[in-house]
Amino acid sequence: MSLIADEIISFSSVLRIAYNLLTGRNYLKRKKFREKEKLVAVTLPFSDLAFAAGTVPVFPIRMHKFEISQYLTYLGSASSIFGWNAVSNFLSFVKNLGIEEVSKIVDDIIENVIDTINEKYNEMYDLGIENGISSDFCYGLKSLVGSHVSKGRNVDACLNVTIRCSAYNKYLESLKSINEGPRQIWIDIPPRNLGNSLELLTDNISNALNEFEKLTGNNVKDNDLRDHFKIGNQVKRSYKNIIYDISASDFYPCNPATFSEIMALLSITFQDYNSNAVRYRDNIVSLEKEMRERIRNGIGMDVSKMPRIFVTPMFGGWEPKSHEIIYELGGRALYADWELLKLLEEIPNGPHTDPSEEYARFLMRATETGIGCDNDKLTDSYLRMASDLNADGIVFFQLFGCHSISNCYAMLREKVRRELEIPITAITFNRIGENVEQVKTRLGAFMEMFK
Amino acid sequence: MDDSSLLSEFTLFLKEKKQEGIKVIAYLAHDNIPEELIDAAGFFPLRLIFGGNDELMDASHDFLPPSTCAFAQSCIGLFSVKPNDYKFLEMVDYIIVSNHCVSDICVSEIISKYFNIPRLNFYVSYTINENSLKYFKLELQDFRNQLEVIIDRKISDDDIHNSILKFNNFKKKLLEINELEMLGSEKLKLIHKSMLFGPDFLHDLENLIQKFKHTPQSVSNTSKDVFLTGCSIFINDNFIDLIEEGGGNIVFFDTWIGNHYYSQIIESNLIDIETDPLDVLVLKFKNNIYGDHSVPNFLEQKVSFIQKYSENYTKNKGRKLGVINHIIKFCDHISLMSSFLKDTLQEKGIQVLNLERDYSRANRGQLSTRIEAYLEMMK
Ligand code: SF4
Ligand code: SF4
Repeated sequence: MSLIADEIISFSSVLRIAYNLLTGRNYLKRKKFREKEKLVAVTLPFSDLAFAAGTVPVFPIRMHKFEISQYLTYLGSASSIFGWNAVSNFLSFVKNLGIEEVSKIVDDIIENVIDTINEKYNEMYDLGIENGISSDFCYGLKSLVGSHVSKGRNVDACLNVTIRCSAYNKYLESLKSINEGPRQIWIDIPPRNLGNSLELLTDNISNALNEFEKLTGNNVKDNDLRDHFKIGNQVKRSYKNIIYDISASDFYPCNPATFSEIMALLSITFQDYNSNAVRYRDNIVSLEKEMRERIRNGIGMDVSKMPRIFVTPMFGGWEPKSHEIIYELGGRALYADWELLKLLEEIPNGPHTDPSEEYARFLMRATETGIGCDNDKLTDSYLRMASDLNADGIVFFQLFGCHSISNCYAMLREKVRRELEIPITAITFNRIGENVEQVKTRLGAFMEMFK
Repeated sequence: MDDSSLLSEFTLFLKEKKQEGIKVIAYLAHDNIPEELIDAAGFFPLRLIFGGNDELMDASHDFLPPSTCAFAQSCIGLFSVKPNDYKFLEMVDYIIVSNHCVSDICVSEIISKYFNIPRLNFYVSYTINENSLKYFKLELQDFRNQLEVIIDRKISDDDIHNSILKFNNFKKKLLEINELEMLGSEKLKLIHKSMLFGPDFLHDLENLIQKFKHTPQSVSNTSKDVFLTGCSIFINDNFIDLIEEGGGNIVFFDTWIGNHYYSQIIESNLIDIETDPLDVLVLKFKNNIYGDHSVPNFLEQKVSFIQKYSENYTKNKGRKLGVINHIIKFCDHISLMSSFLKDTLQEKGIQVLNLERDYSRANRGQLSTRIEAYLEMMK
């Protein structure tokens, strides 16, 4: 872990994103009670309308209090006085002096962030099962149910966007039974792009915006949407640049395990942009800059000889130790779920655009060509992504209980072998940390193919 | 008649259809598929309402992980193994890929792709509101076009009207089954046969219902009355035997294969020749408020339906009614809502048994014990 921690310290923006992820509770409390803003629960990267409506989107797990090291708390306070860059530079400086105690502290900080999130996920998973969701459902849904059971009553609304996964849609329905208080705001995406279905979706979006207006008592104007899309587009641009220009390149600004760690952090945080789109935009833009800066200065690692292993899907739950294992076995793990599902597409925001319609087009495109209405389309998305990343192999996480994405593996394997001619393997996943040894063995055998 | 004879009779029936040049369109057992359009275009709509067993489930594992619903697994198994009783599946000309649940999509897609059966698409929105009704009509138009391409002619509005009437009348007759005093397993056989053969069976159905009305069958007066909700008991599934052996008698089948299907009747005055027949089908979708596919009000509707039925039943018959929620393992819709359904109904004083199972032989003993314990508690 220490290598990973060393590296992350060089990116102050990552520290900020991690800090905002873990200290969400205080931030959200302030927003809700002091600033009287409305909290809206979101899952998957569907936070746009919540931002545009002036509410605070929150990925439910962030309402929890996390056991974070006192050092991170200290750093947070120091940052508000000296700024994050100063904190980060200071840490690197102290660490380079080789003062062992400090090194440990720094390692602790990062280890804490990753482990704390995972521990909380597992805790929510258990809570979900205790509260009635069958253990037969996927890791993600069980954790989400747990999060809503424990903290869902704190939100003022839930933004529910239907997707092709029937378990997910039913989970959305169950939210009002878990907590009666929050307003349920729905956006139903037509399953296919037939006739005027784009118009229907646009209308569904307008109806959802009306619900937001009722929630806040404020009008949501077209410009509010455009302004948010502008910020969202900047976030997506940097995210995509990091995926394509950096993760697929031959020189990394840090070691590949660190890189994957950062990508995993982005994947989690992108769902609610840490509840503050402008702050997140600034962080991710400077993350991209920091990475490029290091590459320009030759700081980092030549990874040209390390096979690119596209690890997916990870958003519904995956073994977070995989990238470290892959790294130890001589490879590099690439994560790009949101791009694969076409959720990183930019949304036109020019003055003459109809923003609701543009958002409808964005959702429809993701449904049609990203997530896909069937496995034939979904597997095409995996193929496209693997080839855009120039992947040398694919590790497919087959989530126990996932009937939507995991079920496409047989078809995917066949297509990958036929069309991409690269190795692919499936790893079954149930709960974080449950099968690390087995994951190691599977990955060990898989990585042999690249020797 | 046992299930094997039913299937062999059906094989002959389907052969005759094929000899008449009628093509067969298959789809999974759920709701919202416009069988009236299929019929109007001159095809035979074949609902896949067949249960499974260990062998069939195992046969699906080349395509899907075992954590897929047992029914979906078995459907693939049927096409893969083609057991003797199911040779008629070779007569299937098209399969509908639909999104009742995501397993429905996966299974029909696999059947189409790996067993070389051309697919037709029909998707349904998850919500029921003004826009999803409009969307439903788009799907109907698209489906009509897909059928017209196959038959290379237009399907007339008159033909669709006639088919709507035909299925509507058939369902009206089927609805009478609910009131028959007979053993649940016998009732289920009648439902199975009717839903398999479709309106061609109407004449026989009328006679049988007449017969049962005149000579009610005796049901043991010690057995407990049960309302079955959740997943259906399909053909070749002996689950109902376990309930009856445990001392229960299903009096109402509130599932896709049962009341949920035949209660979707359109008022005759609304089937007006002047109306676009697709609008009539949209209306049917609109009225389908108890369907498990829909969000966000499925649970409320289901609870209020069961509550009303149960109260009326006890009032009219003077007997308590148990509720068994049949959950086929890994069924997204029924499983995810099951604890909420149970809790809400229990708050209203209605005891519910959530019974989850797959088609393996091994769990029979455990299921029997749970059923017996529940029925015992109903005393
Ligand atoms: S798609 Fe799979 S991982 Fe995602 S919510 Fe549905 S079941 Fe879970
Ligand atoms: S998951 Fe449920 S609804 Fe879907 S195919 Fe299986 S039994 Fe039917």
